[in-house]
Amino acid sequence: MSAPAEGRLTRSYHFSAAHRLESAALSADENARVYGQCFRPHGHNYYVEVTVAGPVDPVTGMAGDLGELDATVKRVLLDRVDHYDLSTTVPALAGVVTTGENLARAFWTWIAAALPPGRLRRVAVVETANNVFEYFGDDEEP
Amino acid sequence: MRRGLVHVTRRFTFSAGHRYWREEWSAAENQRVFGALTVSHGHNYVLEVTLAGPVDPVTGMVMDLAELKRLVHDAVVGRFDHADLNADALFRAQIPTTENLVRAAWELLVPKLGERLHRLRLWEDPTFHAEYFGP
Repeated sequence: MSAPAEGRLTRSYHFSAAHRLESAALSADENARVYGQCFRPHGHNYYVEVTVAGPVDPVTGMAGDLGELDATVKRVLLDRVDHYDLSTTVPALAGVVTTGENLARAFWTWIAAALPPGRLRRVAVVETANNVFEYFGDDEEP
Repeated sequence: MRRGLVHVTRRFTFSAGHRYWREEWSAAENQRVFGALTVSHGHNYVLEVTLAGPVDPVTGMVMDLAELKRLVHDAVVGRFDHADLNADALFRAQIPTTENLVRAAWELLVPKLGERLHRLRLWEDPTFHAEYFGP
């Protein structure tokens, strides 16, 4: 009997948070030059797209339980960041410049650690309608 | 998709006119192949530029997005916005279809962005887009 087909599902989550871009390795002048208007405290309505993969259960027809995924993402991500200042009040982001690039990698680490190995395939941080940051993990393609 | 690298996408818009027509074909042949597209018309194009690269450990960025915005405006948006694509030198020998336009945009951007350029997605309208990942 052949193995069940793999399915992928993507769920979109939303949170609102403040941040500013400032690197401890740069002077105030350099930070202002490199980050421009992002050096000022501001905020976004972030969307985070989480893609997970798994065998399609022949009984339920689902590749994953959306309720479980929602609960996991709420616990490890949304509860940590929603309506916080990412640059100052989120201990798990201490020392991290909160660019979209770094947030995508941090969120990947948090979510991957809470899911069975190999399930997480993509995390996309949608900072604005014009800017998206995606991360697919570090491991070799399974 | 390249694992281990962060993928950054920025969205740009421009509006341009074009028509589909091959000079060496008869009017009837053009009409048969291209139909309504033989008449000059225009679109509000959306260009999504995706870079893939390592994250600078100091700035936390793959590339300064303001710099990306400037480069894409200089090379692509400024060239095509409110332009007649058929009059552009790039489309003397090829029809400015979405497919050809996305490849032309790649050729204009790759000298400035290098290996970081990962994907271009060009929307002609909300229902149709062409993607190019390079030659």
